[in-house]
Amino acid sequence: MKVSIEWLKDYVEVDASTEELVEVFPMLGMEVEGVEGGGGADIDKVVVGEVLTRNPHPEADRLSVCTVNVGEGQPEASIVCGASNFQPGDRVPVALPGAKLPGGFKIKKSKLRGVTSEGMMCSAKELNLGDDHDGLLVLAHRPDVGIPIKEAFADSDVTFDLELTANRGDCLSHLGVARELAARYDRKIRFPEVKSDVPTVSEPSADNLLSKVSIESENCKLYLAWTIKGLKVGPSPEWMKRRLESVGLRPINNVVDVTNYVLMETGNPLHAFDAKKIAGNEIRIRNATEGETIKTLDEVDRRLDESMMVIADAEKPLVVAGVMGSVDAEVDQNTTDIALEAAWFSPGNVRATARKLNLSTDSSYRFARDVNPQLARYSAQRAIDLILETAGGELVSEEVKVGNPPRGDRTIEIAPDFVRSTCGYEVTDEQLADAWGRLGFTVEKGEPWKVTVPSFRAEVDRPIDLVEEFVRIHGTSEIPETRVVCEAVSRNDAAQFTFSEKAADALVGQGFRECCQYSLRDGKEIEAWSDQATVEALTLANPLTAEHTHLRASLLPGLLETLAHNQRNHNDLRRVFEVGRILRPAPKGTTELQSVAFAILTKPIAREWDTELAPDFHEAKLLANRLLAATGIIMPKGGLRSLEDSSAWQQGHAASAGDVHQNRVELTVGFCKLSLSREKGVNGPVLACELLVDPVMLRQKVKPVKFRSFGSFPPALKDLALVVDENVPAEDVRLAIETAALQATDKNFIVDPVTIFDVFEGKGLGEGKKSVACAIRFRSDDRTLEDKDVNAAFDETQRILAETTDYALRS
Amino acid sequence: MEEQLQAIIAETESALASVEARSQLDQVKATIIGGNGKLTVLMKGIAAVPKEERPAFGQAVNKAKKQIESLLTQTAESLDNAEDAAALGKTADVTLPPSGNYIGGLHPLTQTKRRIASIFRQIGFTVAEATEVETEWFCFDALNTPEDHPARDEQDTLYFPKESRFGNVSRKTEEAYVLRTHTSSVQIRTMLKEKPPIRVIAPGRCFRRDTVDATHSANFHQVEGLYVDKKVTVRDLKAVLDHLLRELFGKEVKTRLRPSFFPFTEPSFEVDLYSSNLGRLSNKWIEIMGCGMVDPKVFENVDIDSKEWSGFAFGIGIERVAMMLHGIDDIRHFYQNDLRFLSQF
Repeated sequence: MKVSIEWLKDYVEVDASTEELVEVFPMLGMEVEGVEGGGGADIDKVVVGEVLTRNPHPEADRLSVCTVNVGEGQPEASIVCGASNFQPGDRVPVALPGAKLPGGFKIKKSKLRGVTSEGMMCSAKELNLGDDHDGLLVLAHRPDVGIPIKEAFADSDVTFDLELTANRGDCLSHLGVARELAARYDRKIRFPEVKSDVPTVSEPSADNLLSKVSIESENCKLYLAWTIKGLKVGPSPEWMKRRLESVGLRPINNVVDVTNYVLMETGNPLHAFDAKKIAGNEIRIRNATEGETIKTLDEVDRRLDESMMVIADAEKPLVVAGVMGSVDAEVDQNTTDIALEAAWFSPGNVRATARKLNLSTDSSYRFARDVNPQLARYSAQRAIDLILETAGGELVSEEVKVGNPPRGDRTIEIAPDFVRSTCGYEVTDEQLADAWGRLGFTVEKGEPWKVTVPSFRAEVDRPIDLVEEFVRIHGTSEIPETRVVCEAVSRNDAAQFTFSEKAADALVGQGFRECCQYSLRDGKEIEAWSDQATVEALTLANPLTAEHTHLRASLLPGLLETLAHNQRNHNDLRRVFEVGRILRPAPKGTTELQSVAFAILTKPIAREWDTELAPDFHEAKLLANRLLAATGIIMPKGGLRSLEDSSAWQQGHAASAGDVHQNRVELTVGFCKLSLSREKGVNGPVLACELLVDPVMLRQKVKPVKFRSFGSFPPALKDLALVVDENVPAEDVRLAIETAALQATDKNFIVDPVTIFDVFEGKGLGEGKKSVACAIRFRSDDRTLEDKDVNAAFDETQRILAETTDYALRS
Repeated sequence: MEEQLQAIIAETESALASVEARSQLDQVKATIIGGNGKLTVLMKGIAAVPKEERPAFGQAVNKAKKQIESLLTQTAESLDNAEDAAALGKTADVTLPPSGNYIGGLHPLTQTKRRIASIFRQIGFTVAEATEVETEWFCFDALNTPEDHPARDEQDTLYFPKESRFGNVSRKTEEAYVLRTHTSSVQIRTMLKEKPPIRVIAPGRCFRRDTVDATHSANFHQVEGLYVDKKVTVRDLKAVLDHLLRELFGKEVKTRLRPSFFPFTEPSFEVDLYSSNLGRLSNKWIEIMGCGMVDPKVFENVDIDSKEWSGFAFGIGIERVAMMLHGIDDIRHFYQNDLRFLSQF
């Protein structure tokens, strides 16, 4: 909201400089978005000059060579200029040699394309007087030639663009801001006196231009109406136009301008109707009917619904209540009689209507922030005075009033100790009374204190709100600095956070770069990488763009995009990972899961003197195993098994373990489906791993491990190779041997986990066969095993295998 | 006799000098101390030595034997060493880069998040987590943000369809699911689950329905903080935030609490920072975070008695801190993951 300092001075004495106000407003809770005007250009050697001649530059089409009068007794200056928005006779700021402009640019006599230039004519921006840098700052008010530029602006106004927080509707006016400054500087506030005081009636008399006013909606609590006859619509006086323009409003005519002026003065929106256009001379405040239409002043036909309130005549809606009027009852050049409205509309209703119509106005913005209902009458009186002054006419001597102000002053009970215990620093009773008093609150000291808050502060209604007001006016700079002193609170970081840290650290240690991707994805991508059920479960109701319609179901598509991006840019990025949240549909409802995923580019673009072995499935599996170990996640039972029919992974080159909905852990490792990595623009296959963890599992308490003792006797080693069908997983063979060996020893001694040391396919084994060779280690905790024991166990192992499997002993 | 022994030792030494392989060493060993080796034969001659000279003879022979064995061992060791060294191959050019010359690294947002978390751990705050999918009640109502508040508008908040069901995001009633717009919702879940005193921070991802540009992002990260205890004051709030900002940006930074408004705190403040060491942002007040004393209505919503307990809450953007710390001018860098960006941190 724009406020003019000159205007503010009508209501409060302000002698602070612009620089001071830039510091003061924010500390009152009003952010300064911009400052305009105000002869800020206090720059030596910049004077007002008058352009005498303007000729084209002989060497440059875009430049002109001007002679400029820079003051009596001074030689005319010849200046080369690039702007085109001026004529001989115009007065402009001229920076003479020796001037130093706000950006640090020093002016000196110089040659521009062969022509001497004795200074520079300036734009508003170059002097820090505004944002306009398209042309020279032509001084329309024709200050005297030769005077310093500072003097040319000495009496000009300064406007502040203030951003107010949502709770401070009371500051959306010059009086509102003046009240804050009055509190800050401990000054009195001066309300303009009003003259038009007429009796109040609930029903219009015969003299009135209105025959009836009725409230038929619960969203209007108070409606006041006045009528004026025989006025003359015309332009507003210059002072009013200038003020409206200074705060960004366009002057229209004296009646409309007065309502806008009072809106900016008191913050109370008013509406003027052409009384002759009110059908049946009747005002009805009612809810719109479904589908009712209105053409608002911005010439847009708008369709209304039952939730919206309108001000209507006997036939049609004339105003969307609190938002915007219609062209039907507009005050125009021919208007002679008007009805003036001041009302209180329910903030929520105005806000909802404005939002539905996508129409925010100065009026709706204020009504939505709870206009002071006690101010309606004063604002209307003020407007009537100004209308009678600027447009003439005769006021019908009565105020029609329907309903009552919904709120007034309120009294809050508070103990000064409550303020002290919330603030935590020394606050005297006098300081409290002073701060609240300056704000216009009435303080009655007693047990407890009673503080009466006037109706203009709708949001101050609890003791804690009074604390806030005290801190604000007393000043936050009064809060003393201290060291943090606090007792311990015994609590650990959330398990999910710790898990994420461990996972990231583990992968960084393996040469992976951490990435951060957007969570919002394209539905088509989700469909390609998973299935229709996932697409449906992850849809957003109100996505902003077509590419961001869904939540992610996996971190992998983003990682592939990162690999592709870096590959395209010739960045040697081969290993990437992300730790983040994903969603997956589940029988009990969509579930948010913790995920860790990594991706490895198998065809790096960088050439190297010594080539790294291309990573394969087993490399990824090893990295996945290390990741599990580092994060304390136990591989789901059954281990990694070949993945069939996956939409994301390459058949025959990927494996998964567990199901996150059943086991709370799911691990998938292998090559991403080649068609998908190609579609993402990655050159070459991508090896990847995706770990999904249900956060519930991370929160489980882990019991301390029970130590198992072990002996110091050497093991006995036996190797065993079995010939099996080539499609039998090696793990099945290993497990069969381990099981048989355990059975064979019958717990008489220990069998270490059986390991695979050779897999061989080739001549001598037969078509479609392979050999899997395993090492068995027998040992005992209490003795060195004798050959005969070991041999017996080994023989028995082979016998069991022969009996329970169709694997053949490799001869 | 002594001359004989010295001759054998000398012979051993000269034979070993030309030994280049283990087989040659074995041969030398056999000729000296093997069954018919020269020393062995000499030793066997003890029978012919007079009884009184035998001890001296034995001593002399043993001394020589030890000396010879030591020579053999030395040679064996040097053979082993030579063999090991040969296995290492040629001298390495230590200046060549390793194959697969890439290293890992944490994303700058993670680094910033950890830095903030570690600063808070110094003063007894620990990390709390909750889901990114939230419900209207936890994200807004419980935080005293009324139904018609602009923040809840579909213009600004991403909603899930009415019929959506989530398995691990609890609801108050039948309210709609949203993507959390701040991690302040973690405050609510924490206060419902844990009893005061509470001192937590909640770093995490948040979402706004924003068009992506240099300063806006569809998702971003925030650290929310909450401190609830007996007699927590505005002064404590200032002390904690001053601690954070001085640890992050240097001891010399100035801070100020600027009155502001948030539905869930009262009084509310924006925290501004002034530093001479922030590049383009130097020497002016920069808005860095929001904070305030927990509003009694929020306590009421989570069944904490505001007569007994008081507290403060604050929120700071991780992207914003990282951008200020490192002079990053475009928030999109964080999500593009270009190696030339990532490798700088």
